[in-house]
Amino acid sequence: MASAAKRLEAISGMPAPQIRFDAVTLQLGGKTIIEDLSLGVQPGEFLCIVGASGCGKTTALRLAAGLYQPTSGKVNFDGQPMREPRREIAIVFQDYGKALLPWRTAAGNVSLALEAGGMPSAERPARIEELLRTVGLPGHAGKYPSEMSGGMQQRLQIARCLAQEPKTLLMDEPFGALDAMTRQGLQDEVLSLVAASGATVIFVTHDLDEAIYLGDRVIGLLPHPGRIGIELSVNLPRPRDQLSTREHPEFLRLRRQLFDFIKASEH
Amino acid sequence: MNRTALVWRLASFAVAAGFIALWQLIANLKLVSPVFLPGPDRAWAALVRGFSSGDLWSKLAGTLEHMAYGWLAASIAGIAIGAIIGSSRTMRTYVAPSLEFLRPLPVSAIIPVAIAMLGLTQAMALFVIAFGAIWPIMLATIHGFAAVEPRLYEVARSLQMSRLAVIFKIALPSASPDILAGMRLSLTVALILSVVCEILAGLDGLGHWVLLSARSFRSADLFAGVILLGVTGYVTSVAMSLAEHRLLAWQAAQQ
Ligand SMILES: Nc1ncnc2c1ncn2[C@@H]1O[C@H](COP(=O)(O)OP(=O)(O)OP(=O)(O)O)[C@@H](O)[C@H]1O
Ligand SMILES: [Mg+2]
Repeated sequence: MASAAKRLEAISGMPAPQIRFDAVTLQLGGKTIIEDLSLGVQPGEFLCIVGASGCGKTTALRLAAGLYQPTSGKVNFDGQPMREPRREIAIVFQDYGKALLPWRTAAGNVSLALEAGGMPSAERPARIEELLRTVGLPGHAGKYPSEMSGGMQQRLQIARCLAQEPKTLLMDEPFGALDAMTRQGLQDEVLSLVAASGATVIFVTHDLDEAIYLGDRVIGLLPHPGRIGIELSVNLPRPRDQLSTREHPEFLRLRRQLFDFIKASEH
Repeated sequence: MNRTALVWRLASFAVAAGFIALWQLIANLKLVSPVFLPGPDRAWAALVRGFSSGDLWSKLAGTLEHMAYGWLAASIAGIAIGAIIGSSRTMRTYVAPSLEFLRPLPVSAIIPVAIAMLGLTQAMALFVIAFGAIWPIMLATIHGFAAVEPRLYEVARSLQMSRLAVIFKIALPSASPDILAGMRLSLTVALILSVVCEILAGLDGLGHWVLLSARSFRSADLFAGVILLGVTGYVTSVAMSLAEHRLLAWQAAQQ
């Protein structure tokens, strides 16, 4: 399989997609939630998914994670069918409060991923400290999640995901519940973390500005059933900057286009 | 300790002292015949006598042993069975109704059955105590396992954790507050049933001591035994609370 992907890469000159949806349809409880979705995400790409509430963004992400299996069609990861979740794919859930273990400290929560990866216990403390430092939580190792603010808890969840050393990072409205200032800070941190690790990202958000600010590409989903309604390439220079990027004419143009799309999709 | 807590503590001591004084008064006035009711002074003397002669030590040890074995057996079986039932929706649907039928059965009802099957033996006592003490633990475990945040199972899946790791790192710790509360309730049940079994089967323990004292009208010894039982119940329950407090330190952080 892998060699077939390599060959394809050699022929087309394009790297094979890391995640590929092939005419994916998903039914849950007799209802078609996602219909005929085809999509490729290149290694290292930052893809953002937007769309009205209930259009199937979370469902699409769960398909990519292997938490759902398509009713028909295929989801491939590195050229192989996704049959179940795997450690190379990390998910940052929106509800960080539910995704962290309340009985483990920050260090313990990060450790969970290292334990699952089979890291010897002697090597863990150093790695945990490094990861907590990476997400801006040095010195909070001994705190329980309940003793941390929302922003800190989400950083902790990101640290645990990084501990998986994922090839792909799936994020479901990770900053949806945070205030604007915390949000912008975390956007930039995620961008630099991702740039450093080279991970592929699928990032779901309600916030059109956030999607354009972060993404290489933005996909807008149409509801009932969920399918792709618009696809925009974001040709904005990197590294992005909270002020100048958001004032860039291209940013404003994309924002307008996306805004009109969402407006139209809601009718 | 803050001031209000201190005041409450003092008040509760005062109430206890008041009761003892009242008891002494009733005994001194011989409102109840001394054959049946010794004063606290005589009960205390009997207690001291019992311990210095060594008799009471062995009785206390006997009761503690019955209680501990029964309770531990109930805990292990209750947590294991509760975990199996609680972690599967199908099991919950099919088994829970039968449990609801069995649970309110008074344990005293199964004592004759146990005696018929096992005789007046230690094994019978162990069975009866464990059977009575298992319910609070098992039901609490079922509840605790059923209430694990589904999101955490998804985290476990995406980390490709093994089944065993999921049980020990996710489900058990998540259910631990429920399980420990069930274990605390069972402690009292185990003590009561230990005494009952000792009385019925004549096994070495405080229950037996109390029975013999009553039969030979040694009321002071009888009261010494009863006091000791009360203290045992209190001390074990306090010890359990302390253990809970330590094990669930993360919960205190949540408040
Ligand atoms: N397990 C399920 N069974 C049946 N229907 C479901 C299930 N999960 C989601 N749905 C339905 O699928 C649709 C898409 O849900 P999804 O959560 O993917 O939307 P979303 O785009 O993430 O919405 P939001 O922006 O509100 O998070 C909704 O109409 C929802 O009711
Ligand atoms: Mg969603």
